[in-house]
Amino acid sequence: MNIQKRFLPSLFLWVLPVLFCLSACRNNPAAGKPKRMAVVVSTLNNPWFVFLAEKAAAKAKELGYETKIFDSQNNTALETDHFENALASGYQAILFNPTDAEGSVVNVQKAKDAGVPVFCMDREVNSTDAATSQILSDSYAGCVALGKYFVEKMNKQGTYVELLGLVGDNNTWNRSKGFHSVVDYYSGLKMVAQQSADFDRNKGMEVLESILQAHPDINAVFCGNDAMAMGAYQALVAAGKADKVKIFGFDGAPEVIESIRDGKIVATAMQFPEVMANTAATSADEYLKGKRDFPKKLPVAVELVNKEDINDYSAYGKKE
Amino acid sequence: MEAIIPVKNGQSVKKYSHVLVRFQSLIALFILCVAISLLSDKFLTVTNTWNVMRQISVNICISVGMTLVVLTAGIDLSVGSVLALCGAITAGLLKNGIEIPSNNLFIGFTLLGAIVAGLLIGALLGLFNGWAITRWKVPPFVATLAMLTIARGFTMLWTGGYPISSLGSGFDYIGTGWLLGIPVPVWISGIVVAAAIVLTKKTRLGRYVYAIGGNEQAAKLSGIRINKIKMAVYTTAGALAAIGGIMVTSRLDSAQPNAGITYELDAIAAVVIGGTSLSGGRGSILGTVLGAVIIGVLNNGLVLLNVSPFWQQVVKGGVILLAVIIDKANTKTE
Repeated sequence: MNIQKRFLPSLFLWVLPVLFCLSACRNNPAAGKPKRMAVVVSTLNNPWFVFLAEKAAAKAKELGYETKIFDSQNNTALETDHFENALASGYQAILFNPTDAEGSVVNVQKAKDAGVPVFCMDREVNSTDAATSQILSDSYAGCVALGKYFVEKMNKQGTYVELLGLVGDNNTWNRSKGFHSVVDYYSGLKMVAQQSADFDRNKGMEVLESILQAHPDINAVFCGNDAMAMGAYQALVAAGKADKVKIFGFDGAPEVIESIRDGKIVATAMQFPEVMANTAATSADEYLKGKRDFPKKLPVAVELVNKEDINDYSAYGKKE
Repeated sequence: MEAIIPVKNGQSVKKYSHVLVRFQSLIALFILCVAISLLSDKFLTVTNTWNVMRQISVNICISVGMTLVVLTAGIDLSVGSVLALCGAITAGLLKNGIEIPSNNLFIGFTLLGAIVAGLLIGALLGLFNGWAITRWKVPPFVATLAMLTIARGFTMLWTGGYPISSLGSGFDYIGTGWLLGIPVPVWISGIVVAAAIVLTKKTRLGRYVYAIGGNEQAAKLSGIRINKIKMAVYTTAGALAAIGGIMVTSRLDSAQPNAGITYELDAIAAVVIGGTSLSGGRGSILGTVLGAVIIGVLNNGLVLLNVSPFWQQVVKGGVILLAVIIDKANTKTE
């Protein structure tokens, strides 16, 4: 008790000046009006989004802006806080990766009302005029291409398993629907199990281990992202079936690119986070220099990567 | 704070209730297994049994630590993050070592060195939890909640948000190897369980853990050094989370920065299904093991039966609730 009584007031005495100092530090540079761009990203808990955010920040810095990355932790309410903070502390543009197509609309609208342009990356918001421009990864089309290649590689017949991502995530279903829009036309291709592994490598392995018990003779696994594809590969290695089952992923993660080269994984769909990040940062720069006509939606193609053309690609993009 | 069990003359009642609690989880597990094997002939096979055992071994390690903590009427929410951090540290040291560019110094790590470092960090984080709880009287829920965030933050700093993969041969043995016909993770979790049973049943420390959870004030008055024992318990929980982290990392041949998210909830579920009271002082390691097995069998069975992922979450929640309701009913009729 005694300790607390002495400790708490002294804590406040120390912390308060520090807080004042911090806000003072934050305000000072704003007074000199440097050029600033905020990067608000849905999550940093996934390497892909870390890459996207870092590339966007790097490009903005290269163009002469001060940047800061805000992590919304997949939480739309936290994202709202970030927008309010960014607007209050004088960021002139926001490079934005939304947490939710519907829930994020109000945030974008708020920025627009404050005269701050928002450029969406990878994921879209369901509004035609709130964002200045949306640079989007076309997951659905990417999975259509992947589905076509899947049909070809499977010779139009066989059994397969689908590992879904987080079942509450738009991307999960966009990818799944794109894939099935092709594959479901072939009656020889039979899906024996469709389970969720939360975009997680460990879950991907464990779920496939269990599925392999019920269906030891599957011919292929389609995974909603590359982390699950790597997990699936590990489960198949442990079961001694890695050479009999074809694995398909989605993302273009570094390890999967290596694995495709080694023939461990058949194909993935490459997204181009760096292209999206660079386009968003460059567009924002052009906006601040006076340009106003931007395409409302700018789809960035998702490309199929397989062993034949693997040498054109590196992690998260094309080789330079 | 109801039902404080008197230590001496209530011994027989306590024993009886233990048997009952253990019995009830066993019955539940038996019914579950029969039901699943009736619906799928792939469930009761040797390979699938090993699968389930291997999959639950991480949760068992964490849950054993959680049981000790819960027995002292505490809780440890940080285990998932500690698991991720320790796995990442082991992986990072193994793959990259430590480089200090200013002194032009490079420290490489052997397999054993990296593992020991991971375990030490886990124990240290646990010790820090215990220290915050006993020294500064921070409620366990809050102290470990803070650690959940802190350890996750350090994981991100250490990994930069990217997984650390391809850890070389030798390391994968911990997660994927076999020894005398039994998977190595099962050995590890088995040893942890055996040690914890001896600790709780045969040592003075174990009795003190129960005593603190039963009635902290009384334990203090009878001269038990509560703070020391609590620190020991949280340190153990941290070290066990580290073991779990090293096993996960080894199994995947990769340390994922987002590993272990919500693992604390699985561990708490195993503890609760196993009949350990969240208000402390009552429960057993064996009960927790059964709880973990029930969760593992459920996870495996629902996938084997290709139940929709939406329904799986509903079923799992329902089982936890049911287990606690039955447990409560049993304690009342004691």
